[in-house]
Amino acid sequence: MIGLKSTLNCIDNSGALIVECVNILKNKVTNGWGSVGDEIVVVVQKARPVSAAAQASVNAVKVRRGDVRRAVIVRTRKLVRRPDGSYIRFDDNAAVLLNNKREMLGTRIGGIVSSDLRLKGWGKIVSLAPRVV
Amino acid sequence: MASLTRKARRREAYSMKLEIDSFSGYRIYPSKGKLFVRGDSKVFRFASSKNASLFLQRKNPRKIAWTVVYRKMHKKGITEEVAKKRSRKTVKHQRGIVGADLATIAARRNQTAAVRTQQRLAAITKAKTEKKEKEVKKAKPQRPVAASGPKVSKQQMKGGKAGR
Repeated sequence: MIGLKSTLNCIDNSGALIVECVNILKNKVTNGWGSVGDEIVVVVQKARPVSAAAQASVNAVKVRRGDVRRAVIVRTRKLVRRPDGSYIRFDDNAAVLLNNKREMLGTRIGGIVSSDLRLKGWGKIVSLAPRVV
Repeated sequence: MASLTRKARRREAYSMKLEIDSFSGYRIYPSKGKLFVRGDSKVFRFASSKNASLFLQRKNPRKIAWTVVYRKMHKKGITEEVAKKRSRKTVKHQRGIVGADLATIAARRNQTAAVRTQQRLAAITKAKTEKKEKEVKKAKPQRPVAASGPKVSKQQMKGGKAGR
């Protein structure tokens, strides 16, 4: 249940740590609430500090504070109903940043994600995640 | 009847994946229950909201009388199983092995010493007579070796004109 001003943890290696939701994209059905697998627009509220040495390497920080980016929700505190009728909920809200082509901005994911993502067409994220529940 | 029960068991094993409630130890049937993933990415499954609630209240299942853990701790309803385990015994069993089935083994075991010595004597005498016969046979054939066939030169064998 992600809406305007919701803060989410960013669990990829794009450099963002905490992002704030400013818009839910194309989701009129749920009255503007986003759930796992939904695309949102976020503002980066907290990012890893940019250092010159790290900038040249692969793990370069790609975003800074105040950047506006697309993201996809991967975990929610709100219960999400599975197709088989069971429910799943997590301890926090989390997202993964995307570029304009709906591809991942980072190259890695550092946390558990919901397997509902695969059903919604985010198989790439599911395959990168260290654990899927 | 036995086949029927086995079939039923197989059906259960294949078609249903039962989960275990992390608080109470109850079974969770498909399409039931809630999954809770904690911040340290530990997964907890609850069969009912009662279990979920008690877990979130940080209650200890060992202190709640109806949970499986409690009942196991206080040995509730497991008297039959214990009795069954005690009755189990190792049974010595005889069976045939390679090259000797059970019947021959049993026959050997039931032989008396006298029979065995008799057999041994018989075998010895038999071997002796055979040896004697062999010696007699050996003594007879003392023919000269290699005296058959006309002599052919090697050159011819390799092929003169006839070979072409």
